Amino acid sequence: MSLQKFRAILGVMGATALTLAACAAPPAAAPAAPAAPAATEPAAPAQPTDPTGIVTREFAGSKLTLAAQTDQFVEAFRALIPKFEELSGIDVTMDELGYVDLRQKATADFVGKTANYDLITVDIVWSGEYGQNKWTVDLKPLIERDKAQLALDDILPVMWTLGSWGEGQWAYPLAGYANVLNYRTDLFEEAGVSVPKTLAELQEVATKLSRPDKGVWGIGLLGAKGPAVAQDFMAYVQQYGSSLLDENGKPAIDTEANLKALEGFKALFEAAPPDATGWWWGDRNDAFSSGKIAMMLNWSTAIKNHKNPDLNPFAEKIETAFSPLGTEAGKYGFGGWGIGINADSKNKEAAWMFIKWITSPPIQKEWVDNNGSPIRRSTLTDPELVKKYPWFPILLESYEKGDGDYRPRQPWYSKMEDVIGTEVNAYLVGQIDAKTALANMQKAALDIIK
Amino acid sequence: MLGPVLAFVLAIALAPLLFSLFISLTDYRLTDPTQAKPFVGLGNYLKAFQDKAVLETLANTVVFTVGAVTSQVLLGLALALLMSGETPFMRTLRSLAIMPLALPPLVVGLVWKALYNPQFGPVAYYLKQIGLSVDRGFLGEFTTAMPAVLVIDLWQWTPLLMIIFLAGLKSLPTEMLEAAYVDGASRTQAFFYITLPMLLPVIFIGVLLRTMNAFKVFDIIFATTGGGPGNATSVLNFHIYKVGLTFFDMGYAAALANILLFMIGVCCAFYVVLLRRQRATEF
Repeated sequence: MSLQKFRAILGVMGATALTLAACAAPPAAAPAAPAAPAATEPAAPAQPTDPTGIVTREFAGSKLTLAAQTDQFVEAFRALIPKFEELSGIDVTMDELGYVDLRQKATADFVGKTANYDLITVDIVWSGEYGQNKWTVDLKPLIERDKAQLALDDILPVMWTLGSWGEGQWAYPLAGYANVLNYRTDLFEEAGVSVPKTLAELQEVATKLSRPDKGVWGIGLLGAKGPAVAQDFMAYVQQYGSSLLDENGKPAIDTEANLKALEGFKALFEAAPPDATGWWWGDRNDAFSSGKIAMMLNWSTAIKNHKNPDLNPFAEKIETAFSPLGTEAGKYGFGGWGIGINADSKNKEAAWMFIKWITSPPIQKEWVDNNGSPIRRSTLTDPELVKKYPWFPILLESYEKGDGDYRPRQPWYSKMEDVIGTEVNAYLVGQIDAKTALANMQKAALDIIK
Repeated sequence: MLGPVLAFVLAIALAPLLFSLFISLTDYRLTDPTQAKPFVGLGNYLKAFQDKAVLETLANTVVFTVGAVTSQVLLGLALALLMSGETPFMRTLRSLAIMPLALPPLVVGLVWKALYNPQFGPVAYYLKQIGLSVDRGFLGEFTTAMPAVLVIDLWQWTPLLMIIFLAGLKSLPTEMLEAAYVDGASRTQAFFYITLPMLLPVIFIGVLLRTMNAFKVFDIIFATTGGGPGNATSVLNFHIYKVGLTFFDMGYAAALANILLFMIGVCCAFYVVLLRRQRATEF
């Protein structure tokens, strides 16, 4: 017997017992119940009002389980879930999971059809895999049905890449990340350099800022084998104006343009701490917070923490700018998370109500105030929020010129990422040369999509 | 009483093994929308021996195993001889020496990763003090990453061999040694002509145990290098983990796991034959 059936039987038994208890005749000695409530009885507490008009109590008493990646937005979930529970009467349990755990547990849940999770946060690069396997619900019909509630025009176009694949929308936009440049104003002033706008300027400025004798390097980069270096390299390729796929979506990795991009990427490491070839996201953030690096290209979701004096002693000296681009064709890296409904969930409508509510315009303010990343134009242009988060205009433009496909959102992405992450790292540490790295990537990529 | 034991062995050992053998003959991928699991015969095994990543990880596994077992046997034997004395000091020293065995390999890996850290690790600090450049650190350079990982394994597992060898030394009859010394044999001669030959069965057991474990190394690699830099420390078991739990290619991962199992089985058979021959020559 499945756990759900067991719970259902328990629930029925409990309900039956309560009904019987309620219907049972009172003991003879018991005083008669009053016919009507006394006029002096205190009034029931007022039901909280929903500013979105989305939440109903139709599913009160039901339960939702959310599998959430432990990114910054998990703080927003923590703050907002109790409010949703109060409004809807639905009990929402959030399972906070690291990236690898989330992927493994969610996949096991989908394949085993156990429906332990009703809602799952979906990384943009998982869209293809989820869509191909129909692991999550295609939200397009629901979006069409409820479009009056969704203020769809307000969601920035690039946000839809957080979950779209093929003809379907397998996750709803939840948290959009833009690749931006964070830098230390004091170190820039000291070196007499201005914010780089091109990749050539980035190289030049990073070199000028590097003062290993003082323990400060120009830039922090992700070099660790695996997803870390793969993500940074692919962002560099895109900013450079090149691509790893051709116009037909086939691997075109060992091109002259990508060779130049790879060599340029390695050259940047000359201005980074030597051990950056082994850095993950946390290592780079730590280096920035400890004053070891003067700038870094990073997801916008980290800005708020970097500007928090409790978390970063240089908070007052940190500014945000656009990512430098190599050519006019270069675009800003875009990524982030969508939220999907498990195709096997028994609570699809309740889960959809949760998604609609948490991504709605009135809730977005609280979402971003609690470290969530925005998805809506109205949020990014809200005067009150812009005053509080002055980097929002940079985010808005980065989103508008953002490309969510610089990391191929295809079912084979994880294999491709592994190959790129291994070969680029091998090149950075001098194990192979650039041409060999690109040739290896191309061969492996062709094998993967075969 | 045979029934429960048989049932236990079937459930715990044979059933998973048979299932693993079965899925290794199929193209079972969790990410396959059809979940068809088509039968591919030995296709996964043939693919493995043409897969560059597998061949690289296989070579790394052999290098790691040979390096780890050789260094640990030599050091373990030396420590066993040095610590064989029955003084209170030696007893205390032996107790301290086996402490690394009590730590989970994942914790050991993380501790050593911090020790090796080129920015704040003590190893880097002292190397800088004597004027040596650490740059990316031992774990970050493709030339030093494997030796650095081997040192971690050496630190953790040498005490196991030391204990095994020590037990062997304590169980050796003393009459032959005493007779040799009376006949004028030196300590070196006594060791090479009497102690070592008599200790060989114990050494074989130690080598067998460590070979089996070294072939399966995972935790230390996972915690320190993630198989990098490049593919310098990527071993077969780590690759199997990646194929199975990152790419979700369960059929191929099962085939790779069975190849690893077969290699360990061959090693075991080899040592067992050696052990039997050794015993045969004793009689």
